[in-house]
Amino acid sequence: MFYIHQSSCISHQPTFNDVDLEDLKPSENNLIHAIEPKYENVPLGQLRRMGRALRMGVGTCMKLLGTHNVNGLLIGTANGGIEDSIMFLNQIHDYEEGRLTPTAFVQSTYNAIAGMVGMITVNHGYNATHVHRALAFENVVLDAAMLLKENLDNSYLIGGVDEISVKNHRLVTLAGWYRKEPVSNFDLYKGDAAGTLSGEGAAMFIVSNKSEGATAKLKNLKMVNSNDEKFVQEQLSLFVKENPGKIDLFLQGENGDNRLLKYYTTCESLMSGETTVARFKHAFGEFQTVTALALWLSANVLQTQKIAQHFIKKNSATEFNRILIYNNYQGMQHSFMLVERV
Amino acid sequence: MSKIVVTGIGIISPIGNSVAENHAALQAGACGLTSLELFPTRYATLLKFGEIKTTNEDFKKQLGVTAKGVTRTTLLALHAFQQAIEDSGLTGEELQSADTALINGTTIGGMSESENLYLDANQNEVGSEYISSYNLGTVNMYIQQRYKIGGVVNTFNTACSSSANAIAYGARLIQNGFAKRAIVSGTDSLAKFTINGFNSLGILSSTLCKPFDADRSGLNLGEGAAFLVLEKEEDAKGKKIYAEVAGWANTNDAFHPSSLSDNGDGPYLAMQEALRVANLQPEQIGFINAHGTATENNDEKEGIGMKRLFETVPAFASTKSNIGHTLGAAGAIEAVYCILNLMHQEVYQNLRFEKPIEATGLTPVTGHTKIKLEHVMSNSFGFGGNCSSLIFSKA
Amino acid sequence: MDREQEKLQLKQHIIKYLNLLHVTPEEITDDMPMFREGLGLDSIDSIEMVVMMEREYGLKIENPKDGRDILQTINSMMDFIEKGRAAKAAEEKA
Repeated sequence: MFYIHQSSCISHQPTFNDVDLEDLKPSENNLIHAIEPKYENVPLGQLRRMGRALRMGVGTCMKLLGTHNVNGLLIGTANGGIEDSIMFLNQIHDYEEGRLTPTAFVQSTYNAIAGMVGMITVNHGYNATHVHRALAFENVVLDAAMLLKENLDNSYLIGGVDEISVKNHRLVTLAGWYRKEPVSNFDLYKGDAAGTLSGEGAAMFIVSNKSEGATAKLKNLKMVNSNDEKFVQEQLSLFVKENPGKIDLFLQGENGDNRLLKYYTTCESLMSGETTVARFKHAFGEFQTVTALALWLSANVLQTQKIAQHFIKKNSATEFNRILIYNNYQGMQHSFMLVERV
Repeated sequence: MSKIVVTGIGIISPIGNSVAENHAALQAGACGLTSLELFPTRYATLLKFGEIKTTNEDFKKQLGVTAKGVTRTTLLALHAFQQAIEDSGLTGEELQSADTALINGTTIGGMSESENLYLDANQNEVGSEYISSYNLGTVNMYIQQRYKIGGVVNTFNTACSSSANAIAYGARLIQNGFAKRAIVSGTDSLAKFTINGFNSLGILSSTLCKPFDADRSGLNLGEGAAFLVLEKEEDAKGKKIYAEVAGWANTNDAFHPSSLSDNGDGPYLAMQEALRVANLQPEQIGFINAHGTATENNDEKEGIGMKRLFETVPAFASTKSNIGHTLGAAGAIEAVYCILNLMHQEVYQNLRFEKPIEATGLTPVTGHTKIKLEHVMSNSFGFGGNCSSLIFSKA
Repeated sequence: MDREQEKLQLKQHIIKYLNLLHVTPEEITDDMPMFREGLGLDSIDSIEMVVMMEREYGLKIENPKDGRDILQTINSMMDFIEKGRAAKAAEEKA
């Protein structure tokens, strides 16, 4: 598909400046909050209006665009600035539909991140925001792959971002997807309970067809919409056959929710004894565009040739050349991404 | 490259529940803008709206919706979806095939349930039936699950150009071999959230909107949905072919979160790039279905963009004078209107135009006219500087 | 409150409504242009300030074109606030 060059990431772990994945940071009050950096590359005149998702999204983009120009921007986000949306909705109620301030409305539009980055960097090129919940980032990847088939010499900035917001956390908790009892991210995979811990973050990448200087290659992608674990397993089996070769690391999105475990175990059963199995949601939390962070982690593992112990479920490989990422969200939206060492 | 053609269309708008009804209304110069009847808001009688006068309960009965948590945005979409797949003759097997893509553009999605969202987000102890619907993916999630669509499923959001980009994405999926057919669409329903949002920016008109008129005073919000089935020309043998999707473009104005730049850079670049993709010269465009929201900013800057690109600006009009601005649905609805232009070789009146904007001097189509058309363009511009243009060619 | 205190309060309201993280009241001078090259505000900020006038001072700016003149500088806003108060007081007397 394409090569990954520079990347930037904001997560619960130190990943924006000096990367530290060795030492797992504890969750607080069942939340896996991202560590927000100082946004030195974002103009203060713009930063003042941004909610959390916008800051993280624009901040990670601007870290890469300070030195590079790209031909277009592609952002995946399931919720955009949803806290701003609800703030605006509350204003509608509090002032009984009277004269309202527009900032929260304008900033809550899902495309505000890509729009803002386009405006700050005066980028007139392709500008897309994909919002199909847990396949938002995957569609960004597919869109970028098509753009790079259509425009061989171009480069694009792609990524995913979502925020934990008080209101959104309340909604997803009411829908029954988060743990009600207190649990630490250190114990996320222990026991037998429904629900997970919510997370947030952003990961951005500059991608192109050039192998020179690349940190990783995104080899292939597949998306599956189904709640049938057998069907998902069949699709993974096909995907592996279509992309033959040894898989050194199976990086999967287990999230401690006993209702979703069956998808991961059936898919994991396809891996050979030589494959290391690792998980990432204890470190990043659960959110719809977390696969962008999983891709960032994969590129990091391929480059450094090591993965911190707390990620490991089953140890085997000593060298990492090919990583298969499998994620699913609420048992409906599944994706496979194959990432290779350059 | 294979030609991408349209083999099925479906639409619901304030001027009709089907393609035929919309066609008749456009020919007659009908206006679907009225006071709001179906939900309470302070602005129900203060502003004009393009409201579809069918209740959610009636839609659910008509469309066989028994599931909980299905919002109006999805109901409008489902209505147009069913028309389009029937029109194209897609079988259940084809829908479930791994090479059938489903791509939607929307700006409000399930957040059209503004009241329930407010209650769920602030005070409910038990979630309402819409608890998992407050996002944009909810429309296509429902359709995918109900019809077991087997291929790529996506939702685009680039504000008011969302469904223009959904159409382009579908066409590109086919061209790049990621789908054999793509069901592409736009949908949005009226909601307290958007009414108050646009009102806070001071760009809603209290009277019937007057696109491209010197004395325009803002836009009227509308609702609706449209679906198109896209296939390769060689795969559509024996089928009715409505038009070719010949060009598309997505550019950014890179100027301001909610207004277009003085020179109309984004619109100019979008129209230019769409011509490049279609391999056409400006003079080959016979008609432009303009974005034409009737805000002070848009109509002037869009006109400036058109004048920069076209030596002689072709015939143009804004169908937002008939149905209002349907936001995420606008690109898809106007795509169906462009197809009607091409099929019937005619253009429809830009209602209520009286006097040209001084800065551009441009006059839109002022009556229903028969005209020879080979290629028509559709513009859709949104907040965040997102500008898109599509080109449709005669089949 | 004298005019200087009123001005300081107005500047504090502006900073709060527009979330000007990087600006202190002292940095906003009385004749500094609010828009473009001055404080660098834009059209969305001007709508925010119209709402601020209504919520904090009970003064309505109905026509956006008047807004542009009224919201030019701290001084022009103070003039508008004082005129508005005088008009209200006269109305109450009558």
